[in-house]
Amino acid sequence: MKAKKVLSLLMTAVLAAGMLTGCGGGRGTEDTTQTADTSAGVEETADAESTGEAEPDEAGASSAGSGIVGVALPWLGTQNWAEAEVMFKEQLEAAGYEAIIQAADQKVPQQQQQIESMIENGAQVIVVGPVDGSQLGSVLEKAKDAGVYVIGYDRLLENTTGVDGVVQFGSVKTGELQAQALLQGLKELKGEAPYNIELFGGGPADPNAPNFFTGAMSVLQPLIDDGTLVVVSGQTDFTQCATVDWDNSKAQSRMDAILAGNYSDIEIDGVLSPNDGIARAIITSCENAGQPIPVVSGLDAENESVEWVWSGRQYSTVAKPTNALVAETVSIINSLLSGNGMPATDVTANNGVMDVPIYELPPVVVTKDNAKEVFADDPDRMALLKD
Amino acid sequence: MKYIKKVLGEDLRQYTMIVALAALIIIFNIASGGKMVTSSNFQNLISGNAYVLVLALGMLMVIVIGQIDLSVGSVAGFASMVMAITARQFNLPWYVAILIALLIGMIAGAWQGFFLARLGIPGFITTLGGMMIFRGGVIWISNSISVPVPSELKWFGAGYLPEWGPAFTGMNNSTLLLGVIAIAVYVVAQMKKYSHSGDVTGKKEAFWPFAVRIGIVAVVIGYATWLFGSGRPGTSFPIPGLILVILIILYYLITERTSFGRHVYAVGGNKSAAELSGVNVRRTYFLTMLNMSVLAAVASILFVGRSTAAGPADGTSWEMDAIASVFIGGASVSGGVGTVIATMVGGLVMAVLNNGLMLMGVGADKTQVIKGFVLLAAVAFDVYNKKNRG
Repeated sequence: MKAKKVLSLLMTAVLAAGMLTGCGGGRGTEDTTQTADTSAGVEETADAESTGEAEPDEAGASSAGSGIVGVALPWLGTQNWAEAEVMFKEQLEAAGYEAIIQAADQKVPQQQQQIESMIENGAQVIVVGPVDGSQLGSVLEKAKDAGVYVIGYDRLLENTTGVDGVVQFGSVKTGELQAQALLQGLKELKGEAPYNIELFGGGPADPNAPNFFTGAMSVLQPLIDDGTLVVVSGQTDFTQCATVDWDNSKAQSRMDAILAGNYSDIEIDGVLSPNDGIARAIITSCENAGQPIPVVSGLDAENESVEWVWSGRQYSTVAKPTNALVAETVSIINSLLSGNGMPATDVTANNGVMDVPIYELPPVVVTKDNAKEVFADDPDRMALLKD
Repeated sequence: MKYIKKVLGEDLRQYTMIVALAALIIIFNIASGGKMVTSSNFQNLISGNAYVLVLALGMLMVIVIGQIDLSVGSVAGFASMVMAITARQFNLPWYVAILIALLIGMIAGAWQGFFLARLGIPGFITTLGGMMIFRGGVIWISNSISVPVPSELKWFGAGYLPEWGPAFTGMNNSTLLLGVIAIAVYVVAQMKKYSHSGDVTGKKEAFWPFAVRIGIVAVVIGYATWLFGSGRPGTSFPIPGLILVILIILYYLITERTSFGRHVYAVGGNKSAAELSGVNVRRTYFLTMLNMSVLAAVASILFVGRSTAAGPADGTSWEMDAIASVFIGGASVSGGVGTVIATMVGGLVMAVLNNGLMLMGVGADKTQVIKGFVLLAAVAFDVYNKKNRG
């Protein structure tokens, strides 16, 4: 009984406090001072954070351009997204913008709410690396209605009119490069044709994945037709080769099954892999099955794969320097927030509702031979290339 | 103190959560510099969380009968994917698409209900199986590619009430009308309660607690009406919110006023006693599971309407959000206890936490940690309370 009394007393206090504050919010003059106070408080903490990292930031923020930029990333689970988070923060703050960067842990509803909260926070431009490019329709249209520019990052934003442009590496081109690197490796390391190969695709929910595969097949299909390349498993459709969610372990299970079913008495020479994680899964699978390491393509130049390329376990990867993509995005933001609108581009892609302007950057093939040149400006990756 | 208790009623638990909710909103509003309590943010809050709250309505009944349903997310994803694919394939109008989704929900629910009620397999196992079956089904039929839904469905997930009538009200008149109706209904209900208060004991209760209650609720609803109605022209109280409100009223009546509702609580409280007093336990189990899956389909319609496409990962871990809402709302793990209103408050506490932390730019990682602690704290508070009472 006594506990109950104490409890209700406590509650009363909370209730009273709540009502008081509530009333304060209702009155005009008090309200404004309160808001001003608190917003100053928020800024202070933001400043404290940035000074913790680098002091020049603060000076930059007060002198250069101004504006709030939201960046919605799908997750931080692969190296390129983790790098993007850091680089966006650095480059946006260096350019004088206030950056709101949030990652959605691969959950669509979460990303929708994050984008809405960015609109609420007064973002003038929102950069969106979507979890699923076609599931942000109404939220992006809401951003457009609120007068916010929306820039797609790395993936096309489909099924919506609320998009102003997309910055990405040419995805069909990426696939072509992967296939050319695979052919080059086969000629270099596996002697005379014909070569036994297998094909892997990326996550079907990512609109880039079918494009990679299409690009690669435009190079490989003629050679499959004339017998230079033999896909022993016979699996050449994208739907057969796709790797759900880009999940490495799924790719590894598929490779295990293919090797067990088709390669008991022959050797595998090469594998088309859509990215580095899957490439390593494929190589591991081949090693476990007692196969010689095949020529494998890759993508993203993840640290581990850069080491593998350097040591010769993975033949090639394709670098899509996150730095360049972020820099391109920031330059578009600069153009938008200085009132010059979207820069001109002649590439467009249909997203199901409208033609979206695309800003394409060329990716770079990396093999052991050119690794040092490609990463010359990238001290982190250079450090991996030990002699 | 005695007076406050008179106003709030005897069930302190429920009001503690309401106070906590109000406190959260106020704290976040101050901490975010006034960005929390704005028309557009509250519209976002409702349309972004309506699907979880709809699921929580069904989950409440499932938990009250002493079961759990782990499959709701997968069923939701499956229902919307089947809807999206058939609608696209055969160019179906939107209302047929919705019927298809509801039908799928019904079939899935009947499937789960059959295993639980007929074969006596525990709900946990039945729905764990269902979770795998339907999630696998989604990925299978979609090839993991998201499929656009008919554009009319956007209205259900992101639409607003129509604008009409005079402009001098300064807000969306549909919303205003809703608010007025809500206040009127509450006043009538309270007055009725007051005039019947002496029926049993012969001693009429004092009138002032009713008056104070009516006053407070009228102010809150009035403020909410203004908040939702006075946003950018074209916006109002969101459609998914309206659907949610209709469902809340419906399920409030089902759980509190129908014999089926009483059976649900009876079965959850003491299954054998319920059986002996003539309650058809199997039927109650079956209908509760069926109902859950139908609500999962409704939730999925709201969600794909907002997303404009059905995706292969739709529904992932929605069941957990729904379950958390029910328990924060004070339902008992052993069944038999829990109310619709408290569950909605529990769900809103989670939603406001999520929204407020996002506005302040707190990452998804930390948000999840905080939500976990809130769930534990709410349930621990509940258990502590019960111990002291008994």
